[in-house]
Amino acid sequence: MARPLDLARRFPLGAVGAVIMVVFVGAAICADVVAPFSPLTTNPALSLARPDALHPFGADAMGRDILSRILHGARISLAVGIFSTMIGALFGVTIGIASGFIGGWFDLVVQRLTDILQALPVLVLALVMSAALGPSLPNTIIAISIPLIPYVSRVIRANTLALRELAFVESAEATGMTRWRIAIRHILPNTLAPLIVIATAQLGSTILTEASLSFLGLGVPEPYPSWGRMLSDSAAEYMRTAPWLVIFPGLAISLAVFGTNMLGDALRDLLDPRQRS
Amino acid sequence: MKRWLSLSLATAILATAAAAGAQTPKQGGIMRAWQRDSPGSASIHEEATYSTNFPFMGVFSNLVIYKQDVAQNSMDSIVPELAASWQWSADNKDLTFKTRPGVKWHDGKPFTANDVKCTFDKVRDLTQDKFRKNPRKAWFSTVRDITVQGDNEVTFHLERPQPALLALLASGYAPIYPCHTSAQVQRTAPIGTGPFKFVSFKQNESITLARNPDYWKPGRPYLDGIEYTIVTNRSTAVLGFIAGKFDMTFPLEITPPILRDIKAQAPGAQCFTAPLNVSTNLIVNRDKPPFDNADVRRAMALTMDRKAFVDILSEGEADIGGTMLPGPEGVWGMSKEMLATMTGYGPDIAANRAQARKIMADLGYGPNKMLKVKISTRNIATYRDPAVILIDHLKEIFIEGELDVVETSVWFAKLARKDYAVGLNLTGNAVDDPDQAFYENYSCGSERNVTGYCNKELEKAFDAQSQETDPAKRKAMVWEIDRKLQNDVARPIILHDRKATCTGPALKGYTQMVNSVYNGYRFDELWLNR
Amino acid sequence: MGAYLVRRFGLMLLTLFGISLIIFVLLRLVPGNIVDILFDSAGMVNPADKARIEQELGLDRSLPMQYAAWIGGMVQGDLGFSYVSEKSAWAEIGPRIPVSARLAGTALLFAIAIGVPLGVISAVRQNSALDYALRVMSLSGLSVPSFWLGLLVLMAFVALFGAMPIYTQESRTWTEAILLVLVPAATVGFRSSALIMRLTRSAMLEVLRQDYIRTAHAKGAYPRAVNYRHALRNAMLPVVTVIGMEAAFLAGGLIVTETVFNIPGLARFLVESIRNRDYPIVQNLVMLIAFLVVTINFVVDLMYAALDPRIRVGG
Repeated sequence: MARPLDLARRFPLGAVGAVIMVVFVGAAICADVVAPFSPLTTNPALSLARPDALHPFGADAMGRDILSRILHGARISLAVGIFSTMIGALFGVTIGIASGFIGGWFDLVVQRLTDILQALPVLVLALVMSAALGPSLPNTIIAISIPLIPYVSRVIRANTLALRELAFVESAEATGMTRWRIAIRHILPNTLAPLIVIATAQLGSTILTEASLSFLGLGVPEPYPSWGRMLSDSAAEYMRTAPWLVIFPGLAISLAVFGTNMLGDALRDLLDPRQRS
Repeated sequence: MKRWLSLSLATAILATAAAAGAQTPKQGGIMRAWQRDSPGSASIHEEATYSTNFPFMGVFSNLVIYKQDVAQNSMDSIVPELAASWQWSADNKDLTFKTRPGVKWHDGKPFTANDVKCTFDKVRDLTQDKFRKNPRKAWFSTVRDITVQGDNEVTFHLERPQPALLALLASGYAPIYPCHTSAQVQRTAPIGTGPFKFVSFKQNESITLARNPDYWKPGRPYLDGIEYTIVTNRSTAVLGFIAGKFDMTFPLEITPPILRDIKAQAPGAQCFTAPLNVSTNLIVNRDKPPFDNADVRRAMALTMDRKAFVDILSEGEADIGGTMLPGPEGVWGMSKEMLATMTGYGPDIAANRAQARKIMADLGYGPNKMLKVKISTRNIATYRDPAVILIDHLKEIFIEGELDVVETSVWFAKLARKDYAVGLNLTGNAVDDPDQAFYENYSCGSERNVTGYCNKELEKAFDAQSQETDPAKRKAMVWEIDRKLQNDVARPIILHDRKATCTGPALKGYTQMVNSVYNGYRFDELWLNR
Repeated sequence: MGAYLVRRFGLMLLTLFGISLIIFVLLRLVPGNIVDILFDSAGMVNPADKARIEQELGLDRSLPMQYAAWIGGMVQGDLGFSYVSEKSAWAEIGPRIPVSARLAGTALLFAIAIGVPLGVISAVRQNSALDYALRVMSLSGLSVPSFWLGLLVLMAFVALFGAMPIYTQESRTWTEAILLVLVPAATVGFRSSALIMRLTRSAMLEVLRQDYIRTAHAKGAYPRAVNYRHALRNAMLPVVTVIGMEAAFLAGGLIVTETVFNIPGLARFLVESIRNRDYPIVQNLVMLIAFLVVTINFVVDLMYAALDPRIRVGG
């Protein structure tokens, strides 16, 4: 038990981030048990109800309990965050290693493709993608993961190139290992550290992108309690008369992203000493 | 019915002055209004939302119009505009208008009776230059021909008597366009004979109109111009209104909680709550099993707790009714007693649901065998919100609905393809007249009949009521049709919404119409007390 | 250097070409075309009229033909027509450029004015309580969604002053005019300032660890002079790069902020045009954004090559 405590002392911000993340993931997993009400059941009597003991975050225009919706919303944010980061990382790593290792024309084509995808701000690309795919949870995940691919592949490619120069890879080549075996045995494990760093850093920004897309009406549709969606339409309409519609979902987004960012910073310091700040 | 109707302009002006509280109107000033969204185009004939009527009605004149300072549209409140007078023939099949002489289009060309023919021939899709889209062609399906006698007389020849033709012509949806401009010009920089000239229309930004000094009504309009600022976020717009940036909100766009806020924050504002004559309704695809089974549709009609919809969506303000807008605002709405006898309208929701559950149980559904269905609706809050409640109510009778949010772009295309099982829709009635509501939404083959409901028997009844000249008899026929439509679960009406319009302390002379949200924006009598 | 320039420029064109293809194809995948949207406000669809309009707009041509027509027109300076307003695309886009540019420029100034000094202070006082506070602040800057911040700012304004200036056509007082730019700009710039601060901090730390700084300290130079004269100047290179990139990527922040504050700029117009399936507008706007990003990248690369002789040109 000494080690985690020790780490927490070395990275106090990271520890706070880790705690937030545990709460966040816990909420997502246990939403069904923890949430006091159903996130979808409407109730005329509670329309725009103020926060009170029973509904600590109040209720929305359709009388749905906001706390319950936020707890269930953690699932959507987490699903989008994890899956889009995973998809982005999977393709990014594969392409990055292949491109760094194979080199030649393949590398050239990949490089140009990443140039192209990176010439657009993430939100712009995600916006057009999600419009093209239509509003749904899986489509939102795809729309957010695609702009991630070039970003990941670029970092991994640079890392692969650096590794290739290292003595142990060169010696492996000298012993006659095939290129694929070298890639899998030596390059891939050494890619893990930078990958974890990028993935945690990106987790937060994917959550933010999903929130922005849903806010603009192009992400996860009603009635699913996406945090971004909770802030659009009726929340913006009632922000003067029922500010709790705006405050709590926004806090949830900010806290979740804040947690991942702090954790990401600490992980970077821990795993990637060259970038230590 | 053989009578010349001719209202003198002088009495019209007198009546308006009285309504304005006997204050003497002041000339000048720019009215600033909030516009809720960017209208599809400036061409009223091509659009079917009052997002176009509100900013552009001031550009045009009609032949006749619902008197702008009378809140309830009815046959009795129709007054002349470009028509100086009108007369029905003895067989009630020809309607002749004498047009006003000396009227000029905004580009200086003279207006003649031929412009009337051009306009409605284009609406009837007979001209070379066509509208891009023509949503109200069906309104004039009884018109056989339009003829012009000289520069100042035009006659509509009908297949059969249709007294309500005059009502349709009095709607904000029936402006007169000039012969000499194309449909494209009318969409982008329209020419009219109305009190205001078109100045600019910047997409998603603003619409500007300026006073027409050559307007045919002497001394009008009072305003120097109107600026419509497009604000899509309702909250931002309301903030602007409270801060005095707008003299007028978008009509009937203020929901009860926001209305309370405005009343508290802007004590000088005047607000009017009225029905929009837009109904929220359930649409069921009768070709898709199991919804081809009338019993399933009946069970769905029975489970809806209309009062819960009304309470959630409008804090109890909205009305429950049939196809026609309920009274006292609606002219043709059924009596409360008759309403209560219809499927799903009874007050005992628990009993209704028990009955519905029994129907569903007999068909083999139950808590362990839910009927799974997608509830399609447009990706707009006013559609989505009731759909969410509907899903909640369907759960009571073993139907597990999943919301299928359809992008606005494909909604009508999807309906036209019949690519849905159950949906939630909004239907606006521009004219509080059964001819408009029945033919447009329930007649076989009408383009706006989105469900494709087709009942030849009922269609005969539509024609019968349409030809009836005795209002009392017609009303009885209309109620009977409406009752059949509801019991047939053709397009169960959930509610008729009610919202508010607010005007700032300086704006005078605005009358909120109570049975149509499409007809009251000529604005030639509005003035600013600044 | 000349050959590098030519090669770099060629790549730039290649990237733009790729973007044009991607955006063109993506838009054609969008369910529901412009004609359905046009019919939407009429509440019906008439197949015959729809076909006629498709022909009128050239949508019945094959996709390669449509693409060629777009690129061909663009080369000749003709951006096409907005399907919705029927005005030329330039007439729709042009007037909105200054609105967004003013907002983005102010936001960037705001971000630099806050981000750089705080980053320097944070680096110089590394691991102090102040450093921790500033780091937490910058992290929260990166965590708060800017549309939410915008909504909060609107709410705060109303709570404090009873009103919030919004864009209308009438002429404004100068305080209103300034508020109208400053408030949204600060909302967008907040996130960028956090990013700039983080980068300034790490760049400063990097430089402070380097030998010549240590030497300067050893030689007894006044610490503050060392920090600001030597270290900051050398740390600025990566910071300027990020500022350059941020300038282009502000587009993302503008999209939501223009929506929240009802600002008639380019970014909101992009969202509306995507909703309206107004292909010519979306295509040209996306190309404009891509052009900005690519150009800024190009300039930054050139600056790097010119300023830092260690960087190998090419690669």
